[in-house]
Amino acid sequence: MRAAATTPTAVRPLLGTPSLTRAALVIGGGLALLVVVVVLAVALGSVQVGLGDTTAILGRRLLGLPLPVTWTPVTETIIVDLRLPRVLTAMLVGGGLAMAGTVFQALLRNPLADPYIIGTAAGASLGAVSGIVLPLLVPALAIGAGSTWLGIGIVQLLAFVGGLGTVLLVYAVARSAGRVQVVTLLLTGYAVSAVLAAVVAMLMFVSGRALGAIFGWLMGSLADASWPELAFAAPLLVVSFAALLVRWRRLNLLLLGDAAAASLGLEVEREKLVLTVLATLATSAAVAISGTIGFVGLVVPHLLRLAIGPDHRLLLPASLLLGASLLALADLGARLLGGIPVGIVTALIGAPFFLWLLRRSRTVVPVPS
Amino acid sequence: MKGNGITMTLRPRLLALFVPILLVGCSVSPSPTRTSGPTPTLATTPTAAPSVAAPYPVTLTDDAGRSVTLVAAPQRIVSLAPSNTEIVCALGACADLVGVTDFDDYPPEVADVDRVVVGAQVDVEKVVAADPDLVIAAGNELTPSAVIGQLSGLDLPVLVLYPETLDEIYADIELVGAALDVTAAADELTALMQARVAAVEARLTGAERPRTFYEVGIFAGTIYTAGQGSFLASLLETAGAEPVTGDAVSTSIQLEDLVVADPQLILLGDAAYDGSITPESVADRQGWAGIGAVRDGRVVVFEEDLVVTRPGPRIVDGLEALARAIHPELFD
Repeated sequence: MRAAATTPTAVRPLLGTPSLTRAALVIGGGLALLVVVVVLAVALGSVQVGLGDTTAILGRRLLGLPLPVTWTPVTETIIVDLRLPRVLTAMLVGGGLAMAGTVFQALLRNPLADPYIIGTAAGASLGAVSGIVLPLLVPALAIGAGSTWLGIGIVQLLAFVGGLGTVLLVYAVARSAGRVQVVTLLLTGYAVSAVLAAVVAMLMFVSGRALGAIFGWLMGSLADASWPELAFAAPLLVVSFAALLVRWRRLNLLLLGDAAAASLGLEVEREKLVLTVLATLATSAAVAISGTIGFVGLVVPHLLRLAIGPDHRLLLPASLLLGASLLALADLGARLLGGIPVGIVTALIGAPFFLWLLRRSRTVVPVPS
Repeated sequence: MKGNGITMTLRPRLLALFVPILLVGCSVSPSPTRTSGPTPTLATTPTAAPSVAAPYPVTLTDDAGRSVTLVAAPQRIVSLAPSNTEIVCALGACADLVGVTDFDDYPPEVADVDRVVVGAQVDVEKVVAADPDLVIAAGNELTPSAVIGQLSGLDLPVLVLYPETLDEIYADIELVGAALDVTAAADELTALMQARVAAVEARLTGAERPRTFYEVGIFAGTIYTAGQGSFLASLLETAGAEPVTGDAVSTSIQLEDLVVADPQLILLGDAAYDGSITPESVADRQGWAGIGAVRDGRVVVFEEDLVVTRPGPRIVDGLEALARAIHPELFD
């Protein structure tokens, strides 16, 4: 760990050091985009609210500016209680998925890795679907179905626990002789996911009238976003963001391979576990309040590696900012298209964009290994 | 129009038929005694007494067992299901509707009301923008419970209706009557409905009950009909039939089981939306020619499908139409 504190000279040519102006440009640009997207996504919706009123309401409520009230309470409810929590949820979820995707791609040295790859999606889905279906099958459970724990519903709580628990299980199964081989981890995740997916399919088969709700959850939707759900997920996400951001140097070292990283003084096995837990914490918290939204966590890291290179010092914060903006925009699209699940939008736009990116770059920098 | 009509109208209806739900019966809480109105022929849930003094604030218990308090007479009502809309309008409050669904087509007055449910999706923003003081939702996930939670969270009074029998429809009409302080109108409406049901039952006394298969629709080879224990099945029974029912949860029936059940009468509810479904097309279907109803030419297009599947005041129209289709000899 000590040795990792300074990047060894051997690594420098490969990664380069971001200049201060370059970093300021990337982060500043990302922040500016984020602000524009917040205002845009809050201003637009199925009910028309003027841009002036929107910014004034945001200014009053978020910044405490003493602006004159020129709007009805109904307008304020729509902006503050319906759109704002939804946009902020989209941003936290999008940022979390993009950042977790960046981490998993580096950790697993696999360009196909996304935040869900080692079981988060399957585990969270099983948790959520159980939360939806079990009260229907066992009427005694229905009594508690409407109640909430920690401010969130049973579905969200089970999704969170399911995602986190599955990854820990996969990790434990994949571990042998104190080491976790990347390939073993991927294959174990695949196999465990397949089992859980079968259980999910079985629950869907017997779900009857709840099928619509399950389908919406699996497609990923932000329609139920609310302040209490945000209050549950935001601290988990923010803490994992911070813990991941400061680990940029270790991620850079891991790109060199386990042996090289170890020879440079990194406690490889311990670091892999810590990074997996942190990225999974962010993913599970995101999935719990949004369902399984695809492509954001896969495409954003690749896009940014092409644009600004593979150094995680810049890549991590940039993926956070871009993921946040993109998912908020995708959700705006989903809302304007009549409230379709946002996962449909991210897949419809994300996948072709990814193909275009692949063809354009040829070399496919994705993850240097 | 044809194709669209089918998916648009059948989707929510199929959902409604899934799984008989475990909802508590409804009750109206201010006063349990009926003080006026004709004596009903069927037992109903106790209803609120029409009172001279303003009854607000009033606390009601809806079909989901939720407690709903109204501080004043609702002036701006949003209805999230066509059956709810029909109840509100039948009680004379059509003018107070400020939001309905895009399935709403009755009465004609609702044509100009804003649509807040589009493509079977509740647009919560539009509901809030309509600034309602009463939202009447549907149970059994027809209005998603997440939406009900979201609206209640914004301090909007949400009344959930999910009637599954004729008695529960009467009770829901009384419940809306209590919410709108038009209990006298509600009493009058339910008494009229009950009298019409009683008249149908009287005419059917002693009539034999033909085994009747009601075709809700056929999708991807799966045949949907009245599920065992479903509202539609009980309506068919009241209309003087012995219904050939499908699975209680999926509401589907296998063709083999249908052939074995050998219905004496087939009612084509889906033909109301799809002109290509005719008695002739049914006879041409693989394996259907051996069914008694097909052999005897007792396959009937049932145009009134909409009113037998919409649990509102017009359900009695549906019942009468069913009885007429099943026993034409008794109703001419």
